[in-house]
Amino acid sequence: MKMKGYTGKILKVDLTTEKSHARPFDEKHARKYLGGQGFAVEIVYHGVPKGADPLGPQNVLAMAGGVFDGFPVGTGGKVAFAAKSPATNTLAESIMGGSIGPELRHAGYDALEIVGKAESPSYLYIENERIEVKDAADLWGKDTRQVPEMLKKRHGWDVKVACIGVAGEKLSKIASIDCDDRQAGRAGLGAVMGSKNLKAIVIRGTNDLVPAEPKKLLGIAFRYQKIYEAAPSFIEDTKYGTGEFLGWINKEKGVFPTRNFQESVFAEREKIDPYYWAPKYVTKNKACFACTKPCGKLFEVKSGKFAGVAIDGIEYETLYSLGGACGNSDVESVARANELCDLLGMDTISAGVTIGFAMELMQRGIITEKDVGFKLTWDNASDAVPRMVEMMGNRRGFGDVLADGVKVAAKKIGKGAERYAVHTKGLEPPAYDVRGMKGHGLAYMTSTRGACHLRAGFYAPELVGKFWKWEGIDRASTANKGFMVSQTENFMCVYDSVGLCKFSRGFYLIAKLPEVIEAITGLTFTEDELLKIGERIHNMKGAFNAREGVTRKDWLLPPRILQDPIPEGPSKGQKISVEEMNTMLDDYMKARGWTMDGVPTPEKLKELDID
Amino acid sequence: MVKMLVPYPENCTGCRFCEMACTIYHDGKINHADARLQVHRRGVKVDFPSVCTHCVSCGEDCCVLHCPVEAIKKKDGMVYVDQEECTACGECVEVCPFGVMRMEEKAFNCDLCGGSPTCVKFCPMKAIVYEEPKPEQYEKVKKLLAVEE
Ligand code: SF4
Ligand code: SF4
Ligand code: SF4
Repeated sequence: MKMKGYTGKILKVDLTTEKSHARPFDEKHARKYLGGQGFAVEIVYHGVPKGADPLGPQNVLAMAGGVFDGFPVGTGGKVAFAAKSPATNTLAESIMGGSIGPELRHAGYDALEIVGKAESPSYLYIENERIEVKDAADLWGKDTRQVPEMLKKRHGWDVKVACIGVAGEKLSKIASIDCDDRQAGRAGLGAVMGSKNLKAIVIRGTNDLVPAEPKKLLGIAFRYQKIYEAAPSFIEDTKYGTGEFLGWINKEKGVFPTRNFQESVFAEREKIDPYYWAPKYVTKNKACFACTKPCGKLFEVKSGKFAGVAIDGIEYETLYSLGGACGNSDVESVARANELCDLLGMDTISAGVTIGFAMELMQRGIITEKDVGFKLTWDNASDAVPRMVEMMGNRRGFGDVLADGVKVAAKKIGKGAERYAVHTKGLEPPAYDVRGMKGHGLAYMTSTRGACHLRAGFYAPELVGKFWKWEGIDRASTANKGFMVSQTENFMCVYDSVGLCKFSRGFYLIAKLPEVIEAITGLTFTEDELLKIGERIHNMKGAFNAREGVTRKDWLLPPRILQDPIPEGPSKGQKISVEEMNTMLDDYMKARGWTMDGVPTPEKLKELDID
Repeated sequence: MVKMLVPYPENCTGCRFCEMACTIYHDGKINHADARLQVHRRGVKVDFPSVCTHCVSCGEDCCVLHCPVEAIKKKDGMVYVDQEECTACGECVEVCPFGVMRMEEKAFNCDLCGGSPTCVKFCPMKAIVYEEPKPEQYEKVKKLLAVEE
């Protein structure tokens, strides 16, 4: 094989028959899908039959390491998971920083395809060519820290473990997958593992990874090392983590969703701002595999009622979801709720937004203290939020109503609750109030996995005003947003396929990627060729979703965004009107070459060589 | 005073960049088991690099004393394996308290990259520093490694 860097193999494991098979792929496959998200999406696109139950044995769980995984490229160790999502019924991927992607490649595979369903609780053990489905009876019911500890004691400290918590076992549609205290959180992929009776994936790889040009690669790595070290974001992220711009987004931009999007400036923000808490609680820096600009923080609570809490966090998104969105200004309580989410295996964004939603319902009298069992109120947030997380993860009491996210909860509760459920396609939104960021609002709709800040990453261009090839971007305008969002979506698909962290996207714009890819694989790409791959990946997801009946009618923004203007702060009065929404969607469909219903056309699919 | 690799576990993020840089520099390929230093992650609270270049680091238990054919030698205090004499018996790998004596066809260990340590160059957190030995830092690593057993 001409290409280097890749292992050239995809491992398929059928949990029903316990049979496995490694199939080779060629250079053409690599050139078409690149790796990481591209490989994972291809596997799900071709592997999941139409109408398959996301929580049934026909669903496929794919996992793939990016092109850079295992190689010394700063922040280039991300792994992509993908499946048909139980939350959205769409093809959803979730990207994680845990070290299991690089380990998979050392074991000899670029991607893993898991099909079928194990008869009883099991875990998958992969040690190079040795593939076994093993009994996990003793692991069932254990949390995401106990599981790797037990497995490492059994198989040695060098194995890498990705696992689910109790929430995944109980098929919560907001369940996550955990590895090294990092999570593939979004769209309920943890429940897909749970539905397959798959508690954990354990990998040990001892093979060499050989780049095409080792010396050149080391030189490139060193060059970026220097660029990182000099960058302000390196210094800020390393000191304060990803919440570093929380103050700014509140005070300057006024788009920090608060109390279930009722407000967009959190008055008590200083209490959850890392500039305030980092010096007090952070005891060490943490990083993903291969990351040379660590944003991870070891957050430890040493005294008080939350004493003993120790997490890799608290990240910006979680400061919003379990903090501002729930009106929770007690940072120790946010940390505890974050820890419970991690241990039980639930996405912090979805869990927090769902709790904030229920809090608004109690505020409005739609649910009462009697329904919940305690005061799920803004003024009781510090106690109520962690308590509710615990109940959701275990599906206990009212926690069972909330365990599948806002869309399902609103339906179960009825009484007009839907009016306050903030989501698109069934996925709870991340920490940006898109009423004040129109393009980002479009991106929440077009994102193939539902409301997401990272499928297009359009918050960065809109908040900063420039990105990549554009300048003077006005966040209050709809002009050109359809085109720009489609382009940045393609960009992000490339990012997730090479395995780079999106916190590096300002450092390696697409034009910088070909030399790195070449040093590792020996394959040459132009910038346009890479973007074409990104377009292909996005179109495959779009075609899959259309096939499942998820079209434009299902993409629309929720009532809160369309009807209630932002009440105060720097973005006061802003919302996205139905007319603006439709204009942006029309523009987007044109830019994509899709029908106005959001369906990729046969011509487009042919142009992109998608079968 | 001679310079050595000094570990600062409190600074380490567990990124393992140093291991990758070490093997790619020496072998042109990546295999963490062949890195002349080892990074450990033991749960959310503990990440640390384990290094050893000179006898100062480990004191009594040094591989030099345990090698049955005296293939492990010292030059300016620095430990190296005489490739001619090494019989690949694995004794040194067994006794190395830092777990950094490696074995392929023959035993090998850190050579300080000829005086300009690659791992130090790439560690973003100054968790490995090339400086005069600090015995208390090696003690920290020994303690962390002991917990693991
Ligand atoms: S910047 Fe943060 S999220 Fe990205 S790779 Fe580094 S530690 Fe992981
Ligand atoms: S100094 Fe060189 S040989 Fe020694 S551990 Fe560091 S990179 Fe490896
Ligand atoms: S490069 Fe530095 S921070 Fe990263 S694992 Fe090695 S010693 Fe730790």
